[in-house]
Amino acid sequence: MEKSLFSFIWKYSSRQQLFILMVTVLTYPVVYVLLELPKLIVNDAVQGDNFPRTIVGFNFDQVPYLVLLCFTFLGLVVVSNGLKFYLNVYKGRLGERMLRRLRFELFQRVLRFRLPHFRKVSSGEIIPMITSEVEDVGGYIGEAFALPAYQGGMLVVQIGFIFMQDPLLGLAAISSYPIQGYVIPLLQRKVVLLSRQRVRNIRVVADKVGESITGVAEIHANDAAAWHSADISDRLYENFRIRYDIFNRKFLIKFLNNFMNQLTPFFFYLIGGYLVIQGDLSIGALLAVIAAYKDLAGPWKELLSFYQMTADVSVKYQTVVENFDPLDIYDTSRLTSDDIVKLGGDLTFDNVAFSGGAAGQEVLDISLNVPEGRACAVVGPDGSGRSEVLQLAAGLVSPATGKICIGEHDLDKLTDSTLGREIAYVGGAVHVWTGTIRDNLYYGLRHRPLVAPEREGEDLKNYKRRVSEAKETRNPIYDRAAVWDDLDAAGVDSQEKLDEKALALLEAVSIDKDIYRLGLQSRFDPSMNDAFAEKILNVRKTLADRIAEEPALSGLVELWHPDRFNASASLAENFFFAVPTDPEITMDQVPELPTVKTFLSDTGFDKKLQQIGLKIAETMLELFSNVSGDSGLLGSYSLITPEELPEFERIVRIAKSDQQRPGLSDADRTRLMGVAFKLVPARHRLGVMSDELKDEIIAARKQFLEEVVSDDEGFVAFDPDVYLPPLTIEDNLLFGRARVDRRDARRRIDDVIRTVVEETGLRHPIIYAGFGYHVGVSGSKLSAGQRRKIALVRGLLKNAKITILDDIATGMSEDDKALRKGIREILDGKTFLFGTSHVEIASEFDETIVLDQGRILDKE
Amino acid sequence: MRKISGIAVRSLPVIWKEYGWREALEIEMSLETEVEALRKVPLFRGIDETKLRLLAFISDRTEYPSGERLCSQGEEGDCAFIILSGDANVLVDTPDGEKTVAQVSENSIVGEIAILCDVPRTASLVAASDMDVLTVSKDDFLKLLKEFPDISLEVMRTLALRLERTTRDLADARRGAAGS
Repeated sequence: MEKSLFSFIWKYSSRQQLFILMVTVLTYPVVYVLLELPKLIVNDAVQGDNFPRTIVGFNFDQVPYLVLLCFTFLGLVVVSNGLKFYLNVYKGRLGERMLRRLRFELFQRVLRFRLPHFRKVSSGEIIPMITSEVEDVGGYIGEAFALPAYQGGMLVVQIGFIFMQDPLLGLAAISSYPIQGYVIPLLQRKVVLLSRQRVRNIRVVADKVGESITGVAEIHANDAAAWHSADISDRLYENFRIRYDIFNRKFLIKFLNNFMNQLTPFFFYLIGGYLVIQGDLSIGALLAVIAAYKDLAGPWKELLSFYQMTADVSVKYQTVVENFDPLDIYDTSRLTSDDIVKLGGDLTFDNVAFSGGAAGQEVLDISLNVPEGRACAVVGPDGSGRSEVLQLAAGLVSPATGKICIGEHDLDKLTDSTLGREIAYVGGAVHVWTGTIRDNLYYGLRHRPLVAPEREGEDLKNYKRRVSEAKETRNPIYDRAAVWDDLDAAGVDSQEKLDEKALALLEAVSIDKDIYRLGLQSRFDPSMNDAFAEKILNVRKTLADRIAEEPALSGLVELWHPDRFNASASLAENFFFAVPTDPEITMDQVPELPTVKTFLSDTGFDKKLQQIGLKIAETMLELFSNVSGDSGLLGSYSLITPEELPEFERIVRIAKSDQQRPGLSDADRTRLMGVAFKLVPARHRLGVMSDELKDEIIAARKQFLEEVVSDDEGFVAFDPDVYLPPLTIEDNLLFGRARVDRRDARRRIDDVIRTVVEETGLRHPIIYAGFGYHVGVSGSKLSAGQRRKIALVRGLLKNAKITILDDIATGMSEDDKALRKGIREILDGKTFLFGTSHVEIASEFDETIVLDQGRILDKE
Repeated sequence: MRKISGIAVRSLPVIWKEYGWREALEIEMSLETEVEALRKVPLFRGIDETKLRLLAFISDRTEYPSGERLCSQGEEGDCAFIILSGDANVLVDTPDGEKTVAQVSENSIVGEIAILCDVPRTASLVAASDMDVLTVSKDDFLKLLKEFPDISLEVMRTLALRLERTTRDLADARRGAAGS
């Protein structure tokens, strides 16, 4: 990578830089004429005589002449500003492109690091380098050549003018430059050093903050917050100190510069004055020189700040780039190459040594041979070199000496395109990507875009632009929207078959039940798959029929019925009898929606709800006012939280008093309604729900449906014959509520749902729906065991010639035994390396290699 | 007509005629009825009205159709049952299978020992008719005791009375045995 900023800029943008220079030079005459024209207008057109003037053969009287000059002026203003605008946009675009190129290059270099290198760098340091630290480079690149050229040119011209007036005065004008040229870089060098320190220090801060976030549970568990606070505080002080030093020096430079610049006129007056008195110089010339010198200050200042910026940006560039140039970095072709070598034959280690694994683990002089198609256990406790041997076999790390071959091919000479496709490796520390379960399962099949999507119109235009920009900046042109799933590699011929295969593997590693449960909890868009929605509706009917037929079940559920009040559901659900289309909006928020608010106040129902809310609040206060907040009774049973209690005490007091003032505020009323809406009559049994009230609510529900829901996109009405996308699949299956006043109703009804789902063959579609479940940041919504199993299925789905598992399913429980047996059946006929620390497990495999202290102990 | 929480409630038979038993029950299904029932339970006799209301509110109101099991002998007990309506059979395991040894009905409390200490259920309870039961869980009851120590005193007094009676009965029995 280019070590200095300027070689980077010149290498990738010399053409553009020359173009910018050219356009800048083009603006010179325009600016010059623009400055001259006002003089001409005032002196010649306004105050002049002897008209007409003749211009290119046309005669102009005074007024037309004035008009002509003014319009020329206007035209030039437009041209000059237009050029400036064009140039600025051009520079900005160039800067952004270069920045994109730089950032991508840096990221690609991260991917090219060898694995052991990641023990030395942390993401907390790398991230700010790629994101914020190089940011300034973008803004600088557009100016890198144009600014010094333009301002330097100005400076030379002005100095030349002074010299022409008088060489001695010229010397006086530039007399301070050598001193400035010596002192300023000296100071600037110190600033550069400080800047480097500052960047490094801030990186450490970023790293520490990142570490604190990852280890936050440890911080609390060990009461180490003070220690971390002190640590960060120290670093921040360090940062302050460095920055303060930088300011001091920066402003010292400015001070020196200003001082020197104002010192020069001193010489002018002294030497120039003397020369004028002696009669060697005309007074006019002296004044002209002084005026010219004033004009020098502008470009000089610009050049100085440019110089400071150059120093600053160069330092930033260097301190970033030096981190991305380790000696042993992989070639780019390892990532980008598309050559796939079909691996076949025995896996052989030939006197392999490797050092620098976890905890400095060494592997010494290992020679082994795993025949093609055999299952081999690699046994050794942690620290025996087992993990290193398996990583070596997967081509993830390279041996220090010796050779690892599969058939004839030396793994070290192969690229990712072979290693990552022909070998499946699942290590002990698996990573699940942020995304859906499907994304994670098929991750091992997404090597390159395979089928480009069809684009037309605006979409196609955007795509073309994206591609051309990528080419400009040497970014890859892989299409994210394309189909990436490599069906052939998985050994299937359609997406459906791939899903089936994934399901079969999920069942083999027995995680299908978990995915089924996630599927029940997920939502799906019926417009994507009509048939599935249809089936769910059928199950809903079957369930309803079965519940109606069997008295034992009918007592467990209350189904949604447009004409019935559901005592096991909240008042809000009963009242609105609809759900917001956006699943992010909870039932609690619905009364706040503007349309709902209007409806409530128009129908006068808000008053009634406030009355109910008031009654509930009174009862709650009566029941809980003597209960202390920390007993837990208030939290779990009351409709009002302990924090809200004083608020409601006030509200009830105001409502009870007959005085008109202060009265209840709108917020108070909303609160009361909120409490009323939360009431679940069968659970709370406050006796506020009389039959009249229920009838009124059902009537209001119908009115709400007609007036609001029917023509509001934001709501979907409860309808037994319609699939409701905002509800989970489970809620759509059981179109009602399990009764809260029956013991175990939820569990018993779940059992019934499961049987009906299985009878109707809906289990698989629901699991597929579970594929769409979002696993959270790095799979945080899954358990560690689930993450491992998903990673395992990902590895198995690759259908690779060689599969390497390390520390996966190595328990002695029956479950793990069955799992191992299942995996061996799936991988029958393929080379399979299984890393474990249990010697007992070895007997399940064809071959065994026992490792200890980085050496082979035993081979069978 | 009497008022429940400010809402007029017609007398039960009238509602029964108009709506059927389910609705009648639902209207009666308010805290007041539960408090009435709790008041009749000896263990809670000395506790004042508002605290009984709180106890009722934090308890679960559960329906059991005839034949459903409330609890089984031997399992860890974690709640007491207060029967608001209906009857339940008390069954005990014998070598010949379960045998009904007693019947409990309205306003009786069953399994109350379980909410004071950890003991396995000494018998099973099966609904003999459709039942309406108030379930007081151990955790909640203990929280309530902690919150209001005067309840503890009342409970203690009741238990002490019971102990005194049991001791006297035992002494009587012994004397009877010695005398015969």
